[in-house]
Amino acid sequence: MKPVRILLKKTGLAIYISHLDMNRCLSRAVIRAKIPLWYTEGFNPKPYLNFLCPLALGQEGLAEPLDLRIEGEISNDEIKESLSNVMPQGIEVTEVYDPVMKSAEIACALYNITLEFENEKEAGVFCEQAKAAIESGELTAEKRSKKGMKTVNLCEMINSFEIEQQSEKAGIKTVLPTGSTLNLNPDLLLDALYEKTGLSPESRLVSRACLYNESGEIFR
Amino acid sequence: MFPKKLEPVLLKVQKPGRYTGGELNSVIKDKNKVDVRYAFCFPDTYEIGMSHLGMKILYSLINEREDAWCERVFAPAQDMEEQMKALGVPLYALESGDAVRDFDFIGFTMMYELCYTNILNMLSLAGVPLRSADREGLTPLVVGGGACACNIEPMADFFDLVSLGDGEEVTNEIIDLFKIHKAKGSTRKEFLIEAAKIPGVYVPSLYNVEYNEDSTVKSITPTCGAPAKVTKRTVKNLDTMFAPTSFVVPFIEVVHDRTTVETFRGCIRGCRFCQACFLYRPIREKSPETVEKQCRAIYENTGYDEISLCSLSTSDYKGLEKLLNSMLEWTIPEKVNVALPSLRADNFPEELMKKLSAVRKSGLTFAPEAGTQRLRDVINKNITEEEVLSTAALAFRGGWTAVKLYFMIGLPTETDEDLEGIANLAQAVVDEFYNNPDKPKGKGVNVSVSLSTLVPKPFTPFQWEPMITPDITLEKQQKLLGYIRSRKITLSKHNPKTSFLEGVFSRGDRRLCKVVERAWEKGCKFDSWDDMLKFDTWIETFEEFGIDPYFYTARTRSFDEVLPWEHMDFGVTKAFLMRENKKAHEGVTTPSCREKCAGCGAAAINGGECSETRKNTA
Repeated sequence: MKPVRILLKKTGLAIYISHLDMNRCLSRAVIRAKIPLWYTEGFNPKPYLNFLCPLALGQEGLAEPLDLRIEGEISNDEIKESLSNVMPQGIEVTEVYDPVMKSAEIACALYNITLEFENEKEAGVFCEQAKAAIESGELTAEKRSKKGMKTVNLCEMINSFEIEQQSEKAGIKTVLPTGSTLNLNPDLLLDALYEKTGLSPESRLVSRACLYNESGEIFR
Repeated sequence: MFPKKLEPVLLKVQKPGRYTGGELNSVIKDKNKVDVRYAFCFPDTYEIGMSHLGMKILYSLINEREDAWCERVFAPAQDMEEQMKALGVPLYALESGDAVRDFDFIGFTMMYELCYTNILNMLSLAGVPLRSADREGLTPLVVGGGACACNIEPMADFFDLVSLGDGEEVTNEIIDLFKIHKAKGSTRKEFLIEAAKIPGVYVPSLYNVEYNEDSTVKSITPTCGAPAKVTKRTVKNLDTMFAPTSFVVPFIEVVHDRTTVETFRGCIRGCRFCQACFLYRPIREKSPETVEKQCRAIYENTGYDEISLCSLSTSDYKGLEKLLNSMLEWTIPEKVNVALPSLRADNFPEELMKKLSAVRKSGLTFAPEAGTQRLRDVINKNITEEEVLSTAALAFRGGWTAVKLYFMIGLPTETDEDLEGIANLAQAVVDEFYNNPDKPKGKGVNVSVSLSTLVPKPFTPFQWEPMITPDITLEKQQKLLGYIRSRKITLSKHNPKTSFLEGVFSRGDRRLCKVVERAWEKGCKFDSWDDMLKFDTWIETFEEFGIDPYFYTARTRSFDEVLPWEHMDFGVTKAFLMRENKKAHEGVTTPSCREKCAGCGAAAINGGECSETRKNTA
């Protein structure tokens, strides 16, 4: 049994596939690709598949790690090729490698967010006010936790935040905590900013570019 | 592609994966390179429609043609419907995202009478006039098929044509004829008159129906050269018949998410309440080699870890043992589960049962249908209590702890004794579990009894029988509840109101078209969903038109009454159905087709061929 890590790119309409559905989708894909998998040894044997960091519905992911366990002889290149041939539209295998880090090391993620406003003016006002809100050091939101809803200060959770206006669009580059200990969904941050500024965009695209560990290295 | 305008709403609706398309194996073609656009519509949500085998077959079959592109359309749920209306986006097809109203064919499959309002709702969302008479030009043609096609009269005004029986051949013939008429620039009527000449094609608008003073049908007269009787289509050879080699694999979880391959069509049993048994006769079998090949192909193209061998009664499949022995050789090592729905309690070998559960244990279901032997004889369900109990015991020895039992109430000649019999049989199954010395430790048994109401259906020996009213159904359900003594037995009941509506429409006539239309206008849709059913609105609508719904359900029809579906020929003869009806009232059973040919007459429409021996025919 050999562990293998796969990086997936999820774009286009595939962003509307939920995490649970992704699991099912990939377990079928590995069967179609005839990859010799290691099966769990329960009453209901299932191939071992583990998405390390679930992606929220409606968000794009450019390098989403998925761990598999392989039983038998197959190289990483072969896995990549055979999987690539059977993937549905919008889900792409970009890399297959032997895992370097443990999934618990995932600490944060880089998100690129594009918000499109009705006009340039609105985008400008939003950028200005959003920047001020983050810099003020206080932006509260209701966050669901195991003990029910609680109010948190988002500014304390944000690792970095940059916002820039491009005509009627606002581009945000932000690093937010993600992983098993602390998590901040960019949707929550965006909703708080919409509320604070009283402005909401016509459309938005949240794209998770990559994951980092505690010391800021790209998760491998 | 998915309509851009709708993208922002995808995060506001439940299960957006229902609406985006783009699933593996969905077929994308260049619309400029095809002559015929076919929108295959399923009048229920995505999860239900994507489980339907007929749709998968015809989708693949039409897309096999270079000149046609078939796409899928499902009924949007209420939240999505509201969003589409608000944004002015008409009903679209999943593959191209194009508006359904621009297609050549809008085809509906009708497996259930309670989907009728959904059909009207989908036509309306598409922006297509509901009534055939109001649609101008040749296209879009609204066509239909499926089990309800055997009596489509309550929807007659809305369909341009309906095809009866197996769709594998006639669908292509209709498309071929359409291409000729499209090129010629024919009118809708010109095309329909010619289409009615294709065997198995029913064009409702070409028939005039007259009624007697007592509201029964007086006569059904064909016009424009349409045949007096429309004979259903049967595909003769299932080995050479078109069958899909891949399925569209949904992203979201659907009801039946697996490889499904048919083993045979028709049924040898002849249970007198069962419409499917008589509609799909004569019996035609696929060879085990063909079944296995098709299973393998779909499994490899989809990655499904479950294969379902389907038919109306899979344990009656002559090639079953051979098929399983060969198939289990690869399904077990590849951890693929083989499921056999519709098993009978009386003829399943223990060895096979063990092998089948080698990968995963699936549920175990029996359908004794009636509580006493006397009543089982009436309905010709030739299963004995001993058979049920011995199979249950076998299953319990094999480690099963849950059994489902299907029963019906409202059967002809039923008494309280028969209801008590249901409780007794369920109790006997519970006892059988505790009688097993090697029963799994620390585990109880769960016997779930599912109780439905008999809806007498066209083309069954019970087509003349009255159906019990919703009040009596409730009364009987309560009575049965009183007979059940064990907490190991759970009872699930059908909603008597849905069964009642099903009863009205299954044996209804054309005067119901306006009722369906009006009820839909008043907001009725998804009538089979308990939380969506607006029963009072239905009753109000019947009253509005002065139509007594009990006329269709509660009345005993005489053998010489002209039935609304009199102009349909499904092979089994009326004389045979009458004979079976009389035998039912005498409590006399009819042996299965394998034991002795009952002379149903269905083989005549298949060139005299039936997979069962007919040598006993006198």
